[in-house]
Amino acid sequence: MYLVRPLMSGIPRNTPIIIGVWSSMFLVFWTFQAGGVIPNPLVVAQSFLSLFAGAKIIPDLVASLTLNVEATLISTGISLLISYLFVLPAFRPVSLLISKLRYLGLSGLTFLLGLIVSGHELKLGLLVFGMSTFFVTSMVSVISDISTDSWRHARSLRMSPWRATLEVVVFGTFDSALEILRQNSAVGWIMLTTVEILSQSEGGIGVVLRNANRGFRMDDIFAVQILILLIGLGQDALLGFLKRALCPYSTR
Amino acid sequence: MFSYSLAEPLVQMKDVQLTLGGRLILENITATIRDIRRPGMQQGQVVAFLGPSGVGKSQTFWILAGLSQPDKGEVLVGNPPAPVQGGQVGVVTQHYTLFEHRTVLGNLRVAAKQKGIPSDAARKQALELLRKFGLADRAGAWPKELSGGQRQRVAIAQQLLCSDIFLLMDEPFSGLDPVMKTRVCELINEIASMDEMRTLIVVTHDVRAALSIADHVWLIGRDRGPQGEVLSGAKIKEEIDLKERGIAWRENRESLPQYEETVREIEKRFLTL
Repeated sequence: MYLVRPLMSGIPRNTPIIIGVWSSMFLVFWTFQAGGVIPNPLVVAQSFLSLFAGAKIIPDLVASLTLNVEATLISTGISLLISYLFVLPAFRPVSLLISKLRYLGLSGLTFLLGLIVSGHELKLGLLVFGMSTFFVTSMVSVISDISTDSWRHARSLRMSPWRATLEVVVFGTFDSALEILRQNSAVGWIMLTTVEILSQSEGGIGVVLRNANRGFRMDDIFAVQILILLIGLGQDALLGFLKRALCPYSTR
Repeated sequence: MFSYSLAEPLVQMKDVQLTLGGRLILENITATIRDIRRPGMQQGQVVAFLGPSGVGKSQTFWILAGLSQPDKGEVLVGNPPAPVQGGQVGVVTQHYTLFEHRTVLGNLRVAAKQKGIPSDAARKQALELLRKFGLADRAGAWPKELSGGQRQRVAIAQQLLCSDIFLLMDEPFSGLDPVMKTRVCELINEIASMDEMRTLIVVTHDVRAALSIADHVWLIGRDRGPQGEVLSGAKIKEEIDLKERGIAWRENRESLPQYEETVREIEKRFLTL
């Protein structure tokens, strides 16, 4: 009964066993459904291992990770600046506008950006744009939610409006910024494979996936997808660790 | 009865009026807190603004703190009197707001630094205050790790390090059990006796707790219309001098008959505020 009763708080007991049971069920389901276009798990596992044979995948992985880190750093810097400017009435519309630009489609944006830049810059520009719009949206929401009490508390300690902004907005939301960065890096990682196809000369995990798609090599497609998922999970775990290490005070 | 005299005004609210969204909230609030002198001892001031919920006490609180501006009137503090500035009056809200990203010691040090105290001295003073408040072992704790009572004491300590002589407390007894209420009352009395000029202003709806600590009380309320409807615009409805009634500064004042009489009188008055 415990397993199917709503859990009001805390982490469920025996979580590893629950995960193990679900994984086993998934593998069994996959094995029995395999055939036709869906490859067998064992074949996918062999394909996954062969990705690393002769370290052929390494340059592509390095290219993808480098692009992702570069885009993450640039978009985080730009987004934080735009978000912090939200506290200034003159810049508030700008922050809100950037947030609304997330509804621009990637195809239209690719065309527009393609008129100005190409190659690496185009990929980087698209990633930075995509990540920044979502980052600004979340960060502006966090800043809007800062209570009047928090502002008044800072002012009651003789802080000037600028000093209060530094303490309440910049330092006070640092843990939220890291959490948003964590969510946003997932957005970036999802966009990465699509963006990499726009300029294939640099390689990348997206190009590997595209090549497997072209050859209709289903086992390779599955293997690359698993690799993308594992790297994404690793990235998420790393940022989660970073947040816990840097913000032990966080309640979020 | 204790012998005392009233000296110069420390805080003056003069005809304070506030309108929010076209609705009159405060109407001509006038009150003066004077320095109390008692022969042979250091006596700070503890006063209370009492009123039912929703009457405009919080607005009065922020105006007294210099962090909200009235439409008319002014708040003067100090000697010589000057318009109150944000930061001059320490503020402890009922949520005991602290910087969550700083440790207890960090919260206190930043407050001391804001007052211009050098780093080493700030640390020393902060640790001394923590020791005085029984929080020496919590210096390295994060605010989220504190109990409600500990959090309140840290919030008070932070404001004591930064403000001059004035400390404003909004509903300091809110949500506290009777034991904690007694402890907070003791703490307030202890803080008041730290400095002759120290002035604690408590804004609350808790009649008993307010009478247990204050030497002077103002009742805030609104007038009633012909049909008994509440009219907008809270004002000072009554001023009660607890020194004159022989309640202030007495040991175990809660057991005095005049304490009970005053509680009943104010509670009855609350029905029409």
